[in-house]
Amino acid sequence: MRVLVRCLAALLGLAVAGVGLALAGETAWAWARPDAGPLVVPWPAWRARLAALSWASPGVRLLAAAVAVLGLLLVLAALTARHRGIRLHSPAPEVSVTTSRRSLARLVGDQVRAEGGVDRARVRAGARTVRVHAASRFDTEDQLRSRVREVAGQAVADLPMPRSPRVAVVVDSARTPR
Amino acid sequence: MTRATRTTPAASVARPIAVERAVTLVVGLLGLLAGVAALVVGAGWLGHGRAARPVLDPLAMTWLAGHAALARVLAVLVGLVLLVLGLAVLVRAVRPERHPAFVLDRSPTDRLRVTPAAVAGAVRADAERVDGVARARARVVGSRDRPALRLVLWLREGTDLRRVWHALDARVLERARQALGVDQLPTAVRLELDTARRQRVR
Repeated sequence: MRVLVRCLAALLGLAVAGVGLALAGETAWAWARPDAGPLVVPWPAWRARLAALSWASPGVRLLAAAVAVLGLLLVLAALTARHRGIRLHSPAPEVSVTTSRRSLARLVGDQVRAEGGVDRARVRAGARTVRVHAASRFDTEDQLRSRVREVAGQAVADLPMPRSPRVAVVVDSARTPR
Repeated sequence: MTRATRTTPAASVARPIAVERAVTLVVGLLGLLAGVAALVVGAGWLGHGRAARPVLDPLAMTWLAGHAALARVLAVLVGLVLLVLGLAVLVRAVRPERHPAFVLDRSPTDRLRVTPAAVAGAVRADAERVDGVARARARVVGSRDRPALRLVLWLREGTDLRRVWHALDARVLERARQALGVDQLPTAVRLELDTARRQRVR
């Protein structure tokens, strides 16, 4: 998303510069030589067309909807282009240490999968919560849940983090308790 | 901006894009508001008479014709401002990130500079010597007056993070600070955990 926002900003900058150049150039040209016609942009034709269209006409409404949607997409792109890193303790005041969410999920997942009896594990990690989804064929859900909770909790607790995320465990088991 | 960049303003984990984000956000908001406003007018929520009026309203055109000189000056000025702002954003977004050299001796006659590649290479070699680090990447970023270090470490599976974390400050960064003769070297470190599998006997 960060690269996308940089590309978008470059394109928007180019577009804004183009519009500015056209506005200043055409205005100055029309002022200096009123009878010469437009320089590049055929604005008299556009003006005539816009004067004939009402706000309620389908074309105008469609264009307005398209502009609104495009604007919304830009806003969403800008809002989602954040660092989503997870902070660890700083060894020195001017040093900041972070890790990625994917990295944390991989670490927890590897340790949970290394546990015997766990067949599959899927982990999603955030700064506040680590969600583990584990499945087993042989353990009951209660056994699996407590073990996965312990392993995942230990994995998270071993990291030097200022605020350890909460561990949420969901388990699936083929065996039902009798 | 994230908390990481707020506590250590000179060092950021990735290239800062605050301006690019702000530009995208503002243009997006303007588009959204303009589009919604046009839809509201077109739907007749502000009166059916208004919805039926032409987009290029005769009232506005009459006003413009009455203030032609003012409108022209304003149009040229606004156009120039947009041109300059747009180009500034474009240049900023496409320009490669700066990697400043360290100036060790600032006297006017002798100037001793260490290239950013040399500093980055030395730090990378030191970092890769830390037990558990499979690969490292270092970059010198920031400005010449406020250089900072950006470091990415790929750790092997099962690495004791606390040991790496201590070695990082006590050995790698301390050596860099000593070599460059500075008390503080703002650094942003990103750790990629569990990237290389431990060797397993088959």
